[in-house]
Amino acid sequence: MIQIQGLRKSFQTRGGEIRAVDGVSFEARDGEITGLLGPNGAGKTTTLRMLYTLMVPDEGRVLVDGLDPVVQPGEVRRRLGVLPDARGVYKRLTARENIAYFGRLHGLAEGSIRERTDRLSRRLGMQDCIDRRTEGFSQGQRTKTAIARALVHDPRNVLLDEPTNGLDVMTTRSLRRFLAELKAEGRCVLFSSHIMQEVAALCDRIVVIAHGRVVAQGTADQLRAQTGCANLEDAFVQVIGSEEGLFA
Amino acid sequence: MSAWWTVMRKELLDAFRDRRMVMLAFVLMPVAVPLLIAGLGSIGAKRQAEKLEKTLELPVIGVEHAPNLVAWLGTNDVRVLPPPADPDAAVRAQEHAVVLRIDAGYAEDWRAGRPASVELIYDSSRPMQSGATISRVRALLGGYDRQVGTLRLIARGIHPSVMQPLRVGDRDVATPDSRFDFAQQMLPYLLLLLAFIGGMQLAIDATAGERERQSLEPLLATPASREAIISGKILATAAFTLLSVAITLVMFRVVFAFVPTEHADMSVDLPWPALARLLVVVLPVVLLGATVLTALAAFARSHREAQGYLPLLMFLPMLPTLYLMVSPVKTQPWMLAVPFLGQNQMILRILRGEPVTANDWAVSLGAGLVLVLAVWWIAARLYHREQLAASS
Repeated sequence: MIQIQGLRKSFQTRGGEIRAVDGVSFEARDGEITGLLGPNGAGKTTTLRMLYTLMVPDEGRVLVDGLDPVVQPGEVRRRLGVLPDARGVYKRLTARENIAYFGRLHGLAEGSIRERTDRLSRRLGMQDCIDRRTEGFSQGQRTKTAIARALVHDPRNVLLDEPTNGLDVMTTRSLRRFLAELKAEGRCVLFSSHIMQEVAALCDRIVVIAHGRVVAQGTADQLRAQTGCANLEDAFVQVIGSEEGLFA
Repeated sequence: MSAWWTVMRKELLDAFRDRRMVMLAFVLMPVAVPLLIAGLGSIGAKRQAEKLEKTLELPVIGVEHAPNLVAWLGTNDVRVLPPPADPDAAVRAQEHAVVLRIDAGYAEDWRAGRPASVELIYDSSRPMQSGATISRVRALLGGYDRQVGTLRLIARGIHPSVMQPLRVGDRDVATPDSRFDFAQQMLPYLLLLLAFIGGMQLAIDATAGERERQSLEPLLATPASREAIISGKILATAAFTLLSVAITLVMFRVVFAFVPTEHADMSVDLPWPALARLLVVVLPVVLLGATVLTALAAFARSHREAQGYLPLLMFLPMLPTLYLMVSPVKTQPWMLAVPFLGQNQMILRILRGEPVTANDWAVSLGAGLVLVLAVWWIAARLYHREQLAASS
């Protein structure tokens, strides 16, 4: 369960202050997939970074299973599985070693690391590459390694920042199936995307972000009803007020 | 299992799989540094010895004015050469180290019993190349001067000791181990340099490199504290460097066992206990280097930027050597507390076989470790900045 209330964050740059997140509130429930939809630069990544304790909000509050990341960062990180936008893997280590490294940092015992790694490897379909060094991995194999490493500690809440970026159709499909399984297990899944079809196909609830603000939220049906558009894409364009950033 | 231990093990595994890094740190540097010192040292010593032993080739202007002197030189292993057309230019062009000019009035002065003039033409700005030859010629002329002077006194019935109110004797208290030769000048600097920046590649790879390869953000999203992460990286760098320095020290022993020492003052005799003590001496420098490099690399945006600090860092271990060059003072107790300067002094003492007291050890190690802690604290603060991972 993830609750976000009145979140704000700005950055000082040479060109002046940039308000990346400007009053974002929403909720992502257990057993649901929540989609954070918005054009590039809307503030999705910054919102997620405040969630997984990389940044401290200027204002507002985040609660993960009722815990505040500013107060209890360690406990919050234990409850989160994070696939950040940056998903580099160590190329001189095998996929298994990459995953085990994160398992150890989460304080897992070697036995349960092995068991979890085997299970994730089966579910993500990476048996063929699990014991190979990740140098020369395809984009899909790298993303799978990064996802397995993010979930090795069996977190209740799963955050994924644009998980299907740069993946081919087959990998994207298997990844979507995997997210649906996580939901069926009762986890809270929150993922960001700028791809309409993906969000429409997967999410129980959609939070639309533009210019650092939540401009609409609800189920796909609710969004269509709100805007009076039969087509979700038209509804999306209408709520964000422009087509800018949609075609990345 | 603590997080820092996990991070350290992973960084070391990662580093040991980097064949280039391993070759450089454990094979190339450990072989190159002792060979460099031994090679240059023995070449230098050999050339010096050759200059003193082989027949001296001396161009002489005005041979006809002093046949006796020239004949005497000939009996003292000097081969007299015809003079070059322009002696000054020839000396400046390093064709000859020194040219002897016998004055035209030599014979007349000689017969009259007046001091007869000879002149040495040399270039004093090249002491390394021609210093030994010049002093050899000077010594020969001095010898002839004294010999003839003594004969003249005896011919006049005066005891030669009249001209010798003072007799100066030499007693050198240097032990064979404390002779300050080339190897001993270079060794502390190279050892400290290796200890300080030997782990550079690993440190940069583990911080700036980690960020560049986009694996830092997921790492920071784990429950491991940033202090634990940076400590693991620092300790991995230090362990890697320490191993590299240890192998280098062992290679010193091996290389110096093969260097022919008959010419040289190459008294780098390194028994095993001395090697172990040298390793302990450089330990604070190893830790300091690992911490400074990690802090810098965490501060730098990229590999390239981090490597840009390298020339500055190479200069630091040089400072004490430079300081002692311009101000060669007696060793003071406070020097041991100054990083690099203290280690430099300790290394020299161990090489010279001088005693090192428990107090010296405490000051040298204690001061070093305090500095390490201070820099560690700064590095940990740097690692807490929000921009660290998010500047992508």
